[in-house]
Amino acid sequence: MMQSAPFNFRRSVLWLGRLLLGGIFIYAGYSKIFQPNLMLQSFFTLKFSILANVSNFANQVRSYQLLPAAGVYFVAHFLPPTEILLGLLLLVGWRLRVWASLVTLILLGFITVVTRAYLLGLQIDCGCFGKPEPLTGWTVLRDTALFLLALLMTWFAFAEARKAHAWSSAPAPQQP
Amino acid sequence: MNRRFLLASAAILAFLGLGTLLGVAAPTPQKSATNAAEKSGKSVTAAPAPQAPISVDGVKDIDPNKAFGSKNATIVMETFTDFQCPACKQLYTTTVQRVMDNYVPANKVYIVHRDFPLPMHAYSRIAASYSRAAAHIGKCEVVEQALFQNQEKWEMNGDVKGTVAAVLSPAEMKKVQALVDAKTLEPLIDRDKQLGQAVPVNQTPTTIIHTKDGQSYPVVGFVSYDVLKTLLDQLVK
Repeated sequence: MMQSAPFNFRRSVLWLGRLLLGGIFIYAGYSKIFQPNLMLQSFFTLKFSILANVSNFANQVRSYQLLPAAGVYFVAHFLPPTEILLGLLLLVGWRLRVWASLVTLILLGFITVVTRAYLLGLQIDCGCFGKPEPLTGWTVLRDTALFLLALLMTWFAFAEARKAHAWSSAPAPQQP
Repeated sequence: MNRRFLLASAAILAFLGLGTLLGVAAPTPQKSATNAAEKSGKSVTAAPAPQAPISVDGVKDIDPNKAFGSKNATIVMETFTDFQCPACKQLYTTTVQRVMDNYVPANKVYIVHRDFPLPMHAYSRIAASYSRAAAHIGKCEVVEQALFQNQEKWEMNGDVKGTVAAVLSPAEMKKVQALVDAKTLEPLIDRDKQLGQAVPVNQTPTTIIHTKDGQSYPVVGFVSYDVLKTLLDQLVK
């Protein structure tokens, strides 16, 4: 008879982390590409909308006063699709340890730049999502909470991989 | 495992599709607006004296003192900005300036500056008042430039007046101050704001491109000159 896995704190955190962070990453990437402009009259206007949104995001990246022009261009063009890809991979759960580690590192990067801008008193939009959102202490707190969740998820993903699956028939590896 | 692998492959394919859309897609021709604008001898500078609001290609209530170019231009470009908004500064000092240099003298674009002071910005309304007053003595461009370029300074100390005075002669500043004190131009700012709310403008800057055949293309947020140029060139064709 098939048995369901027992309730487990680790597995709950893993599910929560995958769903929450996966959803947030997909939305963050999507909104940077398709918001605030989305003109669907023709392929040209759709392409223009996406380029306008990317240029708007590039301006937000530039406002952090951290990167040279080439770095701003790179981040503005590659971060949004990367966020969508990582979000999808978290939801799928394939090679979770790898993608969870990458998401944790990216969130660590976000906290660093957001905290720096906050401490410098820069009056800028955080650029977290497509619509403008002033960078405040709340932004720093929110990013910190997401980072802690990602860190816990990564740790548990590694821990789960080391032990036998709850409903697996294979015997757990023997400890030396 | 196999199912997860398939899902992961689908995710990667979606990612590649997005990349393709962003990077390599070529623009397709779109219905052109009208024939090229007829040449008019009108100067690009703002009118020196107060004038009644006008309509151009269906765009209503334009204060001619805050508009640049020929009314016969192929495109009317309306920009709703707030003087204290950083993205508006970036749009004005890079994109709008280059459109003013490259499209306005060629009678391709008629630029209309709309004020949209946001309540969250303490000094944007007073900056709009000084800018409007300066526009009505023919000093729109120089004062707008000064306000945007010194945004970080006056938003810290609120010295909008000093920023404007620095680029005007004492006689000009006296006229501007009289207009600001009299508050006679405030209804024009309120009207711009109402027009923006009717669009609706949800964030600044918002740029609306109007063509002669009645089509409108709202562009929300900052847009670089190179990107805006692709749309303008397509519509001017």
